[in-house]
Amino acid sequence: MKQEKVIQLQNISKSFDGEKILNNINLYIRDKEFITLLGPSGCGKTTMLRLIAGFETPDEGTILFEGKPINDVPPYQRSVNTVFQKYALFPHLNVFENIAFGLRLKKLPEEQIRKQVKDMLALVNLKGFERRNVERLSGGQQQRVAIARALINHPKVLLLDEPLAALDLKLRKDMQVELKNMQKRTGITFIYVTHDQEEALSMSDTVMVIAEGEIQQIGTPTDIYNEPVNAFVADFIGESNILDGVMTADYKATFSGHTFDCVDSGFEKNEKVDIVVRPEDVDVVPCERGMLVGDVTGVTFKGVHYEIIVDIRGFKWMIQSTDYVAPGDHIGLSIDPDAIHVMKKSRFSNMFGDYSSFSDELEKLSDLSEEENE
Amino acid sequence: MKKRTLLERMASAPHLVWMVLFIVAPLLFVAYYAFTTPDGSFTFENIAALSNHAETFLFSVCMALISTVICLLIGYPLAYCISRASARAQKILIMLIMLPMWMNLLIRTYSMMAILDDGGFLNNLLMRLGFAPVHIVGTAGAVIFGMVYNFLPYMVLPIHSVISKLDWRLIEAANDLGCNNFRVLTRVILPLSVPGIISGLTMVFVPSISTFYISQKLGGGTFELIGDTIERQFQNPVTYHVGASISLVMMILILISLAIMNRFSDSETGGMIA
Ligand SMILES: Nc1ncnc2c1ncn2[C@@H]1O[C@H](COP(=O)(O)OP(=O)(O)O)[C@@H](O)[C@H]1O
Ligand SMILES: [Mg+2]
Repeated sequence: MKQEKVIQLQNISKSFDGEKILNNINLYIRDKEFITLLGPSGCGKTTMLRLIAGFETPDEGTILFEGKPINDVPPYQRSVNTVFQKYALFPHLNVFENIAFGLRLKKLPEEQIRKQVKDMLALVNLKGFERRNVERLSGGQQQRVAIARALINHPKVLLLDEPLAALDLKLRKDMQVELKNMQKRTGITFIYVTHDQEEALSMSDTVMVIAEGEIQQIGTPTDIYNEPVNAFVADFIGESNILDGVMTADYKATFSGHTFDCVDSGFEKNEKVDIVVRPEDVDVVPCERGMLVGDVTGVTFKGVHYEIIVDIRGFKWMIQSTDYVAPGDHIGLSIDPDAIHVMKKSRFSNMFGDYSSFSDELEKLSDLSEEENE
Repeated sequence: MKKRTLLERMASAPHLVWMVLFIVAPLLFVAYYAFTTPDGSFTFENIAALSNHAETFLFSVCMALISTVICLLIGYPLAYCISRASARAQKILIMLIMLPMWMNLLIRTYSMMAILDDGGFLNNLLMRLGFAPVHIVGTAGAVIFGMVYNFLPYMVLPIHSVISKLDWRLIEAANDLGCNNFRVLTRVILPLSVPGIISGLTMVFVPSISTFYISQKLGGGTFELIGDTIERQFQNPVTYHVGASISLVMMILILISLAIMNRFSDSETGGMIA
């Protein structure tokens, strides 16, 4: 039963105002799994959820629910519930009535409603909040009410659209753990949308990376992190040094003027490839033992490690090391064969530069503008 | 409290003078006349004389209630449909609703008469088409029709303004939780439009209960509403004081009902009620 496909999207395309937002999407979602749709703002994540919930109809393609097409089934007849991006709680109803909303529609007897709402309030840690006005709750509490309101209907699938985006960091971390626990306990399939890669990696069974209206990669968090299929995924998930390289032979990759042993094979001789090396996989060694040699141009203390920018033949690498080196030092770098990940060239190649313009400040700025775009 | 500067006080003076002159003073005059005899001595007689008009008063309340309810029954669906339309269509429809309001009530009522009168446009048309003419002007129905026709915009506009500002995500949320379109209407849109309904009800009821022109013209003189009574009392210097006392009592009753309505709408939006 574990492998049963609850939802399938077949050749789904959707355009708004002549602009293609989703382009020929094919995917299936297994029963009881926690799948995350991950991608930059505006890539069509919300649109995909709305298609599954029934608020949008696809221009092309079929959506299957437990094997049956549901393109023409209205939202209120789908066994799918949504936790909306901005919660959308009913302002004319108190906490109890908001959560009881779905059960009242099913005309359940009053004492059953009471009991189930009580259990739900306990599950989301809101005991005693029954009579509260939803508009006077904090963001985190509203969030919990929204989750309870959806979960109480025991949907087969719960859709969550960036449910934690509005919460502060601490609360967000706590809620991540709670959501994951709720999902395990209830056995409901979660389709979770986020643009936060850390969140995606830490919560999901399966991560699906979307960009430019297409699925870039589907896999477990470790697969996605360790084996990104192209430069976009490598760049979007975690930090990475993405370099131009050549496969001179099986298990031999040449980049930055050095030929490395690696674990990849099956490329054509001298095929041009993208190479990914994660910052934490690079070892700092004395110059004479280094496979690569370069000059340190910047060092930032990060608590657990130092983030070191090293200039190697004009390409700025980022490496992470627990040992301090000083700016201006001449150091050697050593990379293990299994730390080198080789990817075929794609249209995303060369879109991502080195770390020469990198600064935390810039990253924060771009995060902010992403939030404003929501 | 911060002391206001002389300049600020002078700036607000015209406003104050205006209010005293045109709002407070007339009210005081009404109260004064209500409790005095023509020679200026204090009396309760005018108030006591109200009992003579109790029947008219009840009749007026009934007529006003009926036309208010009809306005709600027509106005709510109308406002709802308008708010479903595209932004452009909404603008045009709202314009059409407001258009008659820019015309004088007298003119509108006269044109209604011209249409509905026994020899009027409608009956001419009916006879040409071979139907029997209908007697409309002079019936209670005509008076109610006149009120509904004249006051309907006051119902539609506040309701439309509330519905069109509703958060559409709430509607999607209700859909998502299992509401079909009808239930979305009854469980979410209707309760959330209560403030609009309340203000529509008051805005129709108050002019309906005090109207006198509509009943005189469309009622063909067969009906007397409390507004007509007041008007008649004021036309005669002897009964001037009785007119004032009826006005005063009406005003107090209307204020009380407004207060009740407001209380009701406050507690409604405050968040109980399933
Ligand atoms: N109803 C709509 N009408 C027009 N454009 C839309 C509509 N919904 C979404 N879009 C556009 O589709 C793109 C993807 O939106 P969305 O799915 O919300 O992205 P995400 O959730 O990944 O940030 C955006 O460029 C957005 O402007
Ligand atoms: Mg979104």
